[in-house]
Amino acid sequence: MSEETAPAMLVILRHAPHDSSWLREGLDVALVAAAFGQRVTLLFLGDGVEALRPGQSAGALGQKGTHPTLDMLAMYDIEDIRVDRDSLERRGLTPDALGWTAAPVDVESLPALIAGSAAVFNF
Amino acid sequence: MAATNPTRHLVVDGREVALDPEGYLVDLQAWTPAVAEALAAEEGRELTADHWEVIEVLRAFYARYEAAPAMRPLVKAVGLELGAEKGRSLHLMRLFPDSPAKVAARLAGLPKPTNCL
Amino acid sequence: MLLHLLNRSPASSQVPQDALRAMGAHDRLLLIESAVYGAVAPQADLYAALEGRCFALREDLVSRGLVEHCAPWIAMVDMAEFVDLTAQTQRTVSWY
Repeated sequence: MSEETAPAMLVILRHAPHDSSWLREGLDVALVAAAFGQRVTLLFLGDGVEALRPGQSAGALGQKGTHPTLDMLAMYDIEDIRVDRDSLERRGLTPDALGWTAAPVDVESLPALIAGSAAVFNF
Repeated sequence: MAATNPTRHLVVDGREVALDPEGYLVDLQAWTPAVAEALAAEEGRELTADHWEVIEVLRAFYARYEAAPAMRPLVKAVGLELGAEKGRSLHLMRLFPDSPAKVAARLAGLPKPTNCL
Repeated sequence: MLLHLLNRSPASSQVPQDALRAMGAHDRLLLIESAVYGAVAPQADLYAALEGRCFALREDLVSRGLVEHCAPWIAMVDMAEFVDLTAQTQRTVSWY
């Protein structure tokens, strides 16, 4: 029970797919931690929310996207996925329109989420 | 990730199959069930129906997620596909001793799992 | 109390706004590298509400010709003070 309530590690994803490697590296850190049994919370913030947009595919030259990795998170028991509501709104997105289920975080609760995590990895 | 430079070849049905330094396929498309059997035979393993159904789970996992699973997600995937009785690390340890995620990925023609160790 | 390290300028990036929204009421912000362009008016207005807990690295202001232009509500710190700031905080979060 205590394992359930202990603060999770927070991985913040702030970069868009098909851009730099930051998004993929952040996801890899989350997967490695989860593979070792660490509880992980993901927060999509800024351009990172673009990773949740539906209808993504591989790049024109066949470069892998990150969407299969998002599908895979549940297999690593990464279930706590949050998304910054402001970042969504600024990009014309709503929580219902995303390709994955993510709990919206309001600006008032953002600092507490970060301060209350066991560790923060900001990508 | 499979290395681009093969260090050795395995001859399967008269065809040369390139392997990287750790024994994973250089070209993932080169996999056939006969390749899995040859890789297993090299290590003195014989593939039974229990092995094959796990290999199939792994190949389906890779087709869907484009990644080879670490141990935990492998156990979970096997449990979801083959039932809770088989979705246990003990079952996988018995089938693929030492390091089930790595050994089974190799036999299934997947890249080396990146998220374990 | 967390120390947030920021190295992006508000003129070219949305990252400073994301960092501000993620900051708690007592968290501190340290501007380094290109973020120090934001320590100069009018961009420095973005940090006016953080008076007393917003800092800028002096050597990065100096190298960019900004040391005379740093807004009064942003405190300049040298490397030793930077180290003190990190020692006083429970955790550092980098924004880049």
